Amino acid sequence: MDIAVVGSPEFTLGFQLAGISSIYNPEDEERLHSVLRELLNTKGVGIVVIDSTVLSTLPERLSMRLSESVSPTVLGIGTEEDTTLRETIRKAIGVDLWK
Amino acid sequence: MALDIKPTRSELINLKRRIKQTKNGYKLLKMKRDGLFHEFRTLLGEMIEAKRDLTDAYVLAKARIDLANAIEGGLKVRSAAIANSATPEVEVERRNIMGVVVPSVSGTNLKQAFGDRQIGFTGSSPYIDEAAESFGDLIEKIVKASEMEATLKRLLAEIESTKRRVNALEFKVIPELEEAQVFIQLRLEEMEREETFRLKRFKNK
Repeated sequence: MDIAVVGSPEFTLGFQLAGISSIYNPEDEERLHSVLRELLNTKGVGIVVIDSTVLSTLPERLSMRLSESVSPTVLGIGTEEDTTLRETIRKAIGVDLWK
Repeated sequence: MALDIKPTRSELINLKRRIKQTKNGYKLLKMKRDGLFHEFRTLLGEMIEAKRDLTDAYVLAKARIDLANAIEGGLKVRSAAIANSATPEVEVERRNIMGVVVPSVSGTNLKQAFGDRQIGFTGSSPYIDEAAESFGDLIEKIVKASEMEATLKRLLAEIESTKRRVNALEFKVIPELEEAQVFIQLRLEEMEREETFRLKRFKNK
């Protein structure tokens, strides 16, 4: 299975340098949403890496779908921490265990 | 609810059996919930660490590629990136934690040695190499973190549904069954009293 990287060209460049070939550089928000939706339904993709600052700007419905998806697993990385998992834990257990 | 039950002895016996069964299931489910939760807590600690590592690795990789960009120029870095055709692959297998199927991700070719990067000595520079290497590290961490994230998500979903089942049994199913049992017992006693009273009346005539 592949690793896919979605984000601005600056974000994806390093991953490309490390050899990842599934690189998506959507130009605007609409394209970004359609790329993510497409990736959710693609069988050959195991992990989707996305900039966490982009992840936090997505509409709620889409980010819910992304955080619930297991195959592919969507992972937000960036300098600020990705809080989607923390949210999921809070919802499922009722207590914020992330400490 | 209890009123649509036939107050018969056989129904009472059936009901008693069902209550016993349900309580047994309740106990088992409760144990499953606690077990899952225990597993979850252990994994969560690791996950938090993995996430922190991931952020650190990203910051480092980002700094290195920025440096490479600044020194070598964006074009050169980009051409090196395009030249690299050794693609990392991930393999997803299934693992079982207390009845929950979780993915176990292993990667091949995540990090490449200098020679495998197919950039060549002339097209590259130490800065680009360092950046590529730290991104290789980052990808390794991503694979690990994503496996844990997927595992935690599956566990969470299972914990949630088990919790719901345990609560439904504890607060809805078992009380209702017990209520029905009490109803039948009272009704049977009442019928018995009616019977003795009827007999007395008969004798008096």
